[in-house]
Amino acid sequence: MSPGVERRQVGMVRAGVDVGPTNTDAALLDDAGRVLATVKVASVPDDPVACVRAALGALPPHESAQVAVGLRGAATAVTRRRGLRRVAVLRISGESGRAVRPLSGWPEDLRAAVSAGTATVAGGGGLDREDWTPLDRDAVARFAASAAGAAEAVAVTGLFSPLDGRQEREAAEIIRAEAGDLPISLSAELGSIGLLERENATVLDAALSGFAGAVAEGLAETLSGLCPGAAVFVTRGDGTLMSLEHLARHPGLSLGSGPASVLRGAGVLAGLHDAVVADVGAARVRVGVLAGGFPEEAVRGAGIGGVPVGLRIPGLIRVPRPIDPAELAEAVDRLQPGPARLPLVVVGGGAHAVPGGLHPAHGLCAGAIGAAVSPVGGQYERIVRLPSAAAREAVAEEARAAAVRAGADPRDVALVEVAETPLDYLPGSFVRLRARAAGRPSHL
Amino acid sequence: MREIGIDRLDDLARGAGILGTGGGGDPYVGKLLAREAIRRHGPVTVYDIDEVPADATVVAVSGMGAPTVLLEKLPAGTEELTALRALEAVLGRPATHIVPIEIGGVNSMIPIAAAAQAGLPLVDGDAMGRAFPEAQMVLPTLMGVPNTPMAVADDKGNTLVVDTVSNQWAERITRAACVQMGCQVSCADTVLRGDQLRDGLVPATLTLAENLGKAVRRARAANADPVRAALDVLGGVKLFTGKVVDVERRTTGGFARGNARLEGTGTLELSFQNEHLLARRDGEIVATTPDLICVLDTDSGEPVTTEAMRYGLRVTVIAAPCDPRWASPAGLELAGPRYFGYDCDYLPLRGRYAQVT
Repeated sequence: MSPGVERRQVGMVRAGVDVGPTNTDAALLDDAGRVLATVKVASVPDDPVACVRAALGALPPHESAQVAVGLRGAATAVTRRRGLRRVAVLRISGESGRAVRPLSGWPEDLRAAVSAGTATVAGGGGLDREDWTPLDRDAVARFAASAAGAAEAVAVTGLFSPLDGRQEREAAEIIRAEAGDLPISLSAELGSIGLLERENATVLDAALSGFAGAVAEGLAETLSGLCPGAAVFVTRGDGTLMSLEHLARHPGLSLGSGPASVLRGAGVLAGLHDAVVADVGAARVRVGVLAGGFPEEAVRGAGIGGVPVGLRIPGLIRVPRPIDPAELAEAVDRLQPGPARLPLVVVGGGAHAVPGGLHPAHGLCAGAIGAAVSPVGGQYERIVRLPSAAAREAVAEEARAAAVRAGADPRDVALVEVAETPLDYLPGSFVRLRARAAGRPSHL
Repeated sequence: MREIGIDRLDDLARGAGILGTGGGGDPYVGKLLAREAIRRHGPVTVYDIDEVPADATVVAVSGMGAPTVLLEKLPAGTEELTALRALEAVLGRPATHIVPIEIGGVNSMIPIAAAAQAGLPLVDGDAMGRAFPEAQMVLPTLMGVPNTPMAVADDKGNTLVVDTVSNQWAERITRAACVQMGCQVSCADTVLRGDQLRDGLVPATLTLAENLGKAVRRARAANADPVRAALDVLGGVKLFTGKVVDVERRTTGGFARGNARLEGTGTLELSFQNEHLLARRDGEIVATTPDLICVLDTDSGEPVTTEAMRYGLRVTVIAAPCDPRWASPAGLELAGPRYFGYDCDYLPLRGRYAQVT
């Protein structure tokens, strides 16, 4: 029985692809998450679109309604300083922030490769409405005039823009009017408090927009031939998916997506929402934790190429191969969140080298399977004073909206978590609210 | 006399993070501020307490407010000087030296930036020997030295100088002003004469922070235990190694309070308010403020702040002795467990462990 036949029996078929440095895996799943087929093909170096084409082509004939792809190119482009656009960097903050200029924490060679000039203009906000100052539109226009010709992309970061992104959008309009059709990245869409990390992520998004745009375009074209009518998504580091359009705007979000998909796929294959997962590769074992179906995050936010960007990526312990069983056992033990021990799920090409734990079928292709079953996600955070039900709902709504922007079905988006952290050293109940939402991929 | 250049800031910031005892703010932003200031104005000269002339005018420069807000609302880089100039105008004489008010956290770095900007030397020491949450919790309070006049400046250029009847009142008034000024301000206060530094400061804490940061970095590079390395520098004791299995936070009255439960061989319960203040192992108190209770990431030796405490973290809790002056009755009244609302007495590390001297 071919999977194509089965599809007519069970409904929608989903494909997942995991483009690794050596191999590319693909998997075909039915609506209920059952694995219909898996394949492994050799990766084509530096050509993710060709990898996806080869892997999907090796699957049995199918008509997938959805294809989700895991890519690892964004971080590589930054670390190799290759295929990066030159970015004009605009910060809207007035006097605040002048002590640490844009790009000041960056490695010299990366800054030289990316920067097409920086400017700080008046505007930006604060925790209170009265703290906002008007945007200096003339200064933005001067910045745009100097960027025209010198820059291939623009990054705009406004002080407290996650609370209100209007000034960033206003600046983007002025830049478009002045400098023409440059790609413009806005920091408010990343949704996290912390100006420097958000600005770094926005600049890298702009720098990678050419690379990501080309990948998105190539994937769209390839898949419209291979899987006509399928909705296409790519994986991100927090264990969710985003649309190709979202990838083109925020390529940095794909950082850490490989391990995130493996963790989720291993859980699905083992039928577990909470587990410690060992992904046994050729050179090393990566051990991480799946909590409530989502990868557990690293304590510190991610960095790319020596630049802190604060993005959410899985927390992993790496154990080299050949495996020292004691070292692996210690890593697994360290990741156990409490005395009630979680089961260990062992997946990956070298899983046979680890005798203990659960070895689910198709564990070789956990990354591709994880991509196929992931929801589309979004997140948002804000500092509020005296958190009320209305404030919590507003933050939740922003997170749901972020998930919909990334390609989630608006009818299906649910909150994953709302975390509340009181701010230190301030009287009067200031709290940071952070919400995450996720939903079924939208098939428009 | 020596100099602090850009190359020494990483170690200093790492060590200051550990000395922050869970609070004081992540020194990362402070490090960028100090680096930028040194890049623009050159390295900062540092003097030992003994090298400062008796008639010197030594001013503490610091940041006040929420470290989380500081991550978004970065300083303009002029606030420290604005505060310093406002204070000098009231004093009627210029500052000759700058000193950190606290060595723990981001306030170890802000005076370095301020000293570079002002072209003034820095004194190697601080008024706490750790991090504390309130302005009156400084050794000069024990000497009867007022922390006012205290000048406060925001990023917009607003300044406020207060003169108060007690150091506690300075805390109350400026903390309320800080919220109105955008939750993050710079302060210049606690003026000491050179001949008051022995009584008013914990000596050589910039050097301590740098040595601590260096030891952790070197241990990590040599695949040795970074927590052990930190303990050796601090002369402290390891209280517990385990995983965070529960974190509970609530806001009552002023500051946020919280508890964290760790499991390993037995359990350890940590109570925190901005900083880690109390540790109970298997129900028994094993360390209290004002001794330093530091939570370190077991793998990297990096400090874990109270805001970052969350389920699943693998940490080692260590304790180190406070400056002996904090263990006096007056010191405990200012910063002992009862001040923070815990119904227990100070349990000194000194005398219970051979390695704590």
